[in-house]
Amino acid sequence: MNSRDLVRYAVLAFPFLLLAMFLLYPVLVVTVQGLYSGTPFQEVIASPYIQFVIQFTFGQAILSTFMAVLIGLPGAFLVARLRFKGKSLVKAMMIVPFVLPPIVVVVGFLQMFGANGVIDSFLMWILGSSSSVFNLATGIPGIILAHTFYNVPLVLLMVSASLERLNPEVEESAQILGADSFQRFRRIILPHIMPSILAAAVLTFLFCFMSFPIVLAFGQGTYMTIEAQIWTAFRLFDYGEASSLTLIQILITLSLATAYIRLGRQENSTGQTASIRTTSFSKYGTVERLLIVLYLVVVAVLVIGPIATIARAAVFDPIAKIYTMEGFVNLFTLGNQGGFRYLINSLFYAGLATIFAVVLGIPLAIAMRSRSKAIPTLASAMILLPLGVSSITVAYGLVLAIAVPLELVTNPWPIIVVAQTIIGLPFSARAIEIAMSKIDPALLEQADSLGATRIQRLLFVELPLLAPGILVGGVFAFAMAIGEMSATLFIAVPQTYTLAVAIYDYLAHRAFVEAGAAALVLVVVCVIAFLIMERISEGSTGGAL
Amino acid sequence: MSEYPVRRDPRKIIAVVSVCVILVVATYAAVTWWKPRFVVYTYSSFLDWGDEGAEVVLERAFAPFEEMYGIDVEIILLEADANGIISKLVAEQSNPVADVVIGIDNILILQEEARSVLEPYESPNLSLINETFVDLLDPDHYLTPFDFGLVTLIYSMDTINTTTHPQLGNLTFADLAAAELASALVTENPNFSSPGLSFLLSQIAVYEKLLHQDWTTWWEDVRDDINVQEGWSEAWEVWLGDPTKHLLVSYGTDPAYSADYLGTAPDTAVATLAYDNQHWAWMQVEGVGLVKNGPNPELGKAFIDFCLNASVQTEIPLNQWMFPVRTDLTLPSVYQYAIHPDEVSVLNQLLDRTEISSNLTMWLDTWTLTRTP
Repeated sequence: MNSRDLVRYAVLAFPFLLLAMFLLYPVLVVTVQGLYSGTPFQEVIASPYIQFVIQFTFGQAILSTFMAVLIGLPGAFLVARLRFKGKSLVKAMMIVPFVLPPIVVVVGFLQMFGANGVIDSFLMWILGSSSSVFNLATGIPGIILAHTFYNVPLVLLMVSASLERLNPEVEESAQILGADSFQRFRRIILPHIMPSILAAAVLTFLFCFMSFPIVLAFGQGTYMTIEAQIWTAFRLFDYGEASSLTLIQILITLSLATAYIRLGRQENSTGQTASIRTTSFSKYGTVERLLIVLYLVVVAVLVIGPIATIARAAVFDPIAKIYTMEGFVNLFTLGNQGGFRYLINSLFYAGLATIFAVVLGIPLAIAMRSRSKAIPTLASAMILLPLGVSSITVAYGLVLAIAVPLELVTNPWPIIVVAQTIIGLPFSARAIEIAMSKIDPALLEQADSLGATRIQRLLFVELPLLAPGILVGGVFAFAMAIGEMSATLFIAVPQTYTLAVAIYDYLAHRAFVEAGAAALVLVVVCVIAFLIMERISEGSTGGAL
Repeated sequence: MSEYPVRRDPRKIIAVVSVCVILVVATYAAVTWWKPRFVVYTYSSFLDWGDEGAEVVLERAFAPFEEMYGIDVEIILLEADANGIISKLVAEQSNPVADVVIGIDNILILQEEARSVLEPYESPNLSLINETFVDLLDPDHYLTPFDFGLVTLIYSMDTINTTTHPQLGNLTFADLAAAELASALVTENPNFSSPGLSFLLSQIAVYEKLLHQDWTTWWEDVRDDINVQEGWSEAWEVWLGDPTKHLLVSYGTDPAYSADYLGTAPDTAVATLAYDNQHWAWMQVEGVGLVKNGPNPELGKAFIDFCLNASVQTEIPLNQWMFPVRTDLTLPSVYQYAIHPDEVSVLNQLLDRTEISSNLTMWLDTWTLTRTP
């Protein structure tokens, strides 16, 4: 092995070492301690309640995934095929649910679908009823609806990105050869988008499987996911149960994550972004137009409704029943009383986490494309681990194994940045890997034959070509980081709260306008980031997922 | 004009970005660089239910202490409840930063983990308070009593009253199990909420000790009707917002809060449990504890002593809506509407401390199973 190889391996090993230190080690410390000293594993899984929790976790995730695909799919076709004004804004808005802290979604849902909410008030007015007639924001319907809300945009963005990669010439040829629209869909479009649908479904399933605050809020203690039960176990000091459940969760999620990576591979081979054929609304027939309008109404109620109620919550004080700008005033007030420091904290941590996620994502992406057999698998497992490990366990482990020995407990901002980097890494690494797969190998060979060194090739050929992919990955990592709440909540002390944690805190103190305003600012920051990204990357947002 | 765009050297871009990042990080680290000398952990709503808010009240209550010892007291209001605080202390056990913790109650202290992170301390100021609080909270002195409240049922007088529902005057669990009241009742999940747990233990005490029946039968009876929320705030929200919910598991000081809020007579009333010609309620006592191996044990002890001073204790009624353990202090006039400890027998006396500590996990598991479909 010569020295150049050594440098190469060192660069590749760097993210692995960091992940091992900040993710594997803390989680291992917690689980090993818990399994040794707490309730034994066999006893935990033998408990009928735990078995119910595992069954429910699967059941709700399957149902939520089904709903998200069902509602997201038509939208994917509309976004890909329909030409309309403000398309990039709509696509950027689609990402909003992604960054909303779950607690905000819960509030939005209660106001939209809950008793005496927007829909209920409307129905009461129609029926002339004085008592509540409609409440979907509770129990299983609440959980499923909220999960659908979160994941419809995911399905929509991923599948529409895949549709945009379908070369229109293939479809045109089929048409010329006499295939009708159903045949074209079955024989050409469906096989092409199938991997992306499956990938979106697996990712949706993963998110729903790991769901925590939504289940806690709507489940009323009756319905718990494994993640929520881990949180309960930590609170009740049952470290054995927490560790056993963490272990079960990792086993399940990692096998799913592997499936997801495989699907991603399959689809990448289909090639370059093609210029897609779009149609304007007026070209559709009456029935089709009616269906489109109907679909838009459903999406408006389900996805835009809760967000709109949040916008209203930013300026409407439900206790005093007046409109006020107090929430925004608070958010831009300096000092200990005001919320400005939360905004600064949020931007600072998420910004730093994004930089780390990108810097670590590049070598990870290179490792994923390595020709050897073991390295890509290891790299994929490493980047998907953050999606599949209980964030509560990670946070607890980070405090126990990193913050306490390093005396970072009273000012734990570096630990928060680490936790947020871990959350964003799967997205940045994947976006960069996809961008890499699109680089024409001939260009790199030309650089080599013209005598460029490895570092020159990286700086002057690869990085400039990767720039859009890096940006896409960076923005996704940023969105995940800034919306992260569960881990940050456990690690942070008030001086280091982020907006997401502050919202939770405001709601607990019934400071509703402050919470609403903070949520709205979070939304606006992310929409701006996505608009910039759409502009620069020319609309390949969904490809990052 | 050149046909090709000017090629910017990526090295320059990377260098500029790196320098900017380092500058920003250094500035942030420098600005936020602080190491508090004396740290107190408590939950986020501590002394935060008054007109002025926690910040002002805490400053006023503890400024004399800071002056006396020439230190800054950093009271960290954690976004967690008492259980969450103990979890945090357990995680930090090997290198604690906090010296004192406020808000651990008489049920939580029975758990081994809570005791494992605290150091017993017998404050000389205990002479200022009634011994019963020490006995109810912790005779081993891991905690020093700070405040107390009576956990009971409350109802809104706008929707029901003792004329429409005479049973409210002499409430039993059997009354509560009838479909009409059961479907109007909101409580909190005992796994996550201290009033919820107090209510569960009240029910167990009544069934096992007064009625000599299996306590789980009641939960089976109300299973489809009762509304269980995650915590007290959520339960309050539902009770306030949903016109079909009349009864809430809450505190006996709520009528006083209502009177203070409205500036008139209260619209909230208390329905205590009635058995054997007595009225009953669960007494929750919250305490202050010294963190084991904390950085400043002597200051910590002085702080605990200080918590029993009148200057701190007088802040409790209107900002915490609990009773101060210093019963010699005059209560605000709205407290005439609260139920007082001398009006009820405490249910705690029915359950032995060791009985609670050895059965608590089993009870919670059993309760959880009764809620499982």
